[in-house]
Amino acid sequence: MDQQLLAKTFVELADNLVADFDLIDFLRLLTDRCVGMLDASAAGVLLADRDGKLRVMATSDEQVRLLELFQLQNDEGPCLECFRTGAPVIVHDLTREIDRWPRFVTMAHRSGFGAVQALPMRLRDETVGALNLFRAAPGPFDPAATLVAQALADVATISLLQQRTAQRSTVLNEQLQTALNSRVLIEQAKGKLAERQGTDMEQAFSALRGYARAHNRRLADVARAFVDGSEPLPGLMA
Amino acid sequence: MGPESRSARIQLLVAEQAARRGARVAVVDVCTAAVAALPVGGAGLSAMSRAVPSHPLCSTDDISEQLEELQLTLGEGPCVDAFLHGSAVLTPDLLTRDLQDRWMVFAEAALEAGARAVFALPLQMGAISPGVLDLYAHVPVRLDAEELADALAFADLATLVLLDARIDEAGGPRRGRVEDLGAYRAEIDQASGMLTVQLGVGIEEAFVRLRAHSYAQGRRLGDVAADVVARRLRFPPDAEPDRAGEDI
Repeated sequence: MDQQLLAKTFVELADNLVADFDLIDFLRLLTDRCVGMLDASAAGVLLADRDGKLRVMATSDEQVRLLELFQLQNDEGPCLECFRTGAPVIVHDLTREIDRWPRFVTMAHRSGFGAVQALPMRLRDETVGALNLFRAAPGPFDPAATLVAQALADVATISLLQQRTAQRSTVLNEQLQTALNSRVLIEQAKGKLAERQGTDMEQAFSALRGYARAHNRRLADVARAFVDGSEPLPGLMA
Repeated sequence: MGPESRSARIQLLVAEQAARRGARVAVVDVCTAAVAALPVGGAGLSAMSRAVPSHPLCSTDDISEQLEELQLTLGEGPCVDAFLHGSAVLTPDLLTRDLQDRWMVFAEAALEAGARAVFALPLQMGAISPGVLDLYAHVPVRLDAEELADALAFADLATLVLLDARIDEAGGPRRGRVEDLGAYRAEIDQASGMLTVQLGVGIEEAFVRLRAHSYAQGRRLGDVAADVVARRLRFPPDAEPDRAGEDI
C-alpha cells in the first residue's frame, strides 16, 4: 500500500471534516480513496434508515448496476450480514458463497467482482451502516488494507456527526435523517440533469459536484436549487 | 424494534385510526395516531408552499389548532424553521429554549395557548416538501431516541398520505394501504427527477404521477422506477395519470 497516499488521504479527510463540511461530497471522496488505495475496484458507504433498510450514501461511481448491487444487499449479502452482526465480513472468493447469497453472488459476478469486504460503521453500541469494498480479482485481502478500511469506516461514522442542523442537534436520528434526505435530493437532481442532458447518472453527478465545488456550495444545496428551479445555475448544464 | 419494521408498525397504528372513523386513511389519522403513540397532547399538520404556511390541514384539539393558526398568521414558528432548514425543530421546553431561536412572538403566544413543548417535523422527500407535522405537549417533554424515530416515521407517512390524496383527487385508481418506498430507493428518486423533464412538471407532481402509474398497472413502484431509469419506459407530457407510461 502506498504509504504516502495513505497519509495524504487522512490529511485530506481531516481537512474536509472541518471546513465547510459537505457530507455527501466527503463520503464520495472517501469511497474514491478506497478504490485508489486499497486494491478495490468499487466502494460504497451504506447507512441504515429507521426501518433498518440499507440506503446507499455514496459510491465510487454512480453506475446504476453498481447501485443495484448495493441495494440488493437489503435482502442478502455481506453488507447485510455485517450490519446485523456488527462484525467485518470478508470474502476472498465470491463464487464459493453462491449458496449463502445466491442473488448477490450472481449479480456481483456479472458485474465483474470476485472478492468483497464489508466493514461495520459502529457508533457506541450501534451499527449504523457499512463500508463495502469490491474487487475484481478473487484472493485474500492484504490485512493492512483491511485495517485501513476499518479506520476509514470509523471516519465515515464520525463524519455523520459533523452535520449541524438548525437546532445544533446531537441526536443521531436527526443526523441520519438529514444525511438520508441529502442523498434523496442528489438522486432527484441526478435524474433531472441526466434526462435534460441526455447523459448517464455518473456524468450528471460529476456535473453537480463540479458546480458545487466551483461555487463552494454543498452538493445537496445545489441539488435542491436545481430540482426546485429556484435559482439560475449558470454553467451547470453544458 | 423487532422483526416488524418501524414504518409497518406506524402504518398499522394509522390504519387503525382510519378504521375507527370508518374511512380511508387521511392525514388526520396520522395526527391522532401520533398523539396516541407519543408523549404529546396534540398534533397538527400544515401544508407549506414556498417556505410559507399556506393552510392548516388538520389538528387534533384546540391547542394544536391554535398553534397552526398562529404560525400561519405570524409567519414564524418552529414549523417555519423546520421547513426552511429541512430538519426537525425540537423544543422540549418553550420557557427555557435557546434564545437564538427567532420566533419570540410565537413562543409567547404558544405558551399562552397552553403548549409547553413543541416539535416540528418537516414532511420531506428530498426536494418534495409538502408540509410540516407539529406536535405539542402541555408539560416539558424530551423525546427519547425511539420516540423521535417514531415521530419521524409519522412524518414520513404523512408525506405519502398527503401525496396520495392527490392521486385520489385526480381520479386515479383506488388502492389499499400506502406502499412504503422500500429499500430500492435510489431509482425511485432518480425516476422522479427524470419525469420532471419528461412531463414538464415539478418534482412533487412527477413523483405522484410515477406512483399513480404503478398503482394503475399493479406494479411495484421500485420496478416501474427501474424501467424509467433504464429508459425502457417514458412518460410523454400530455398523457393522463393512469395511462402515462409508454413502453419503448
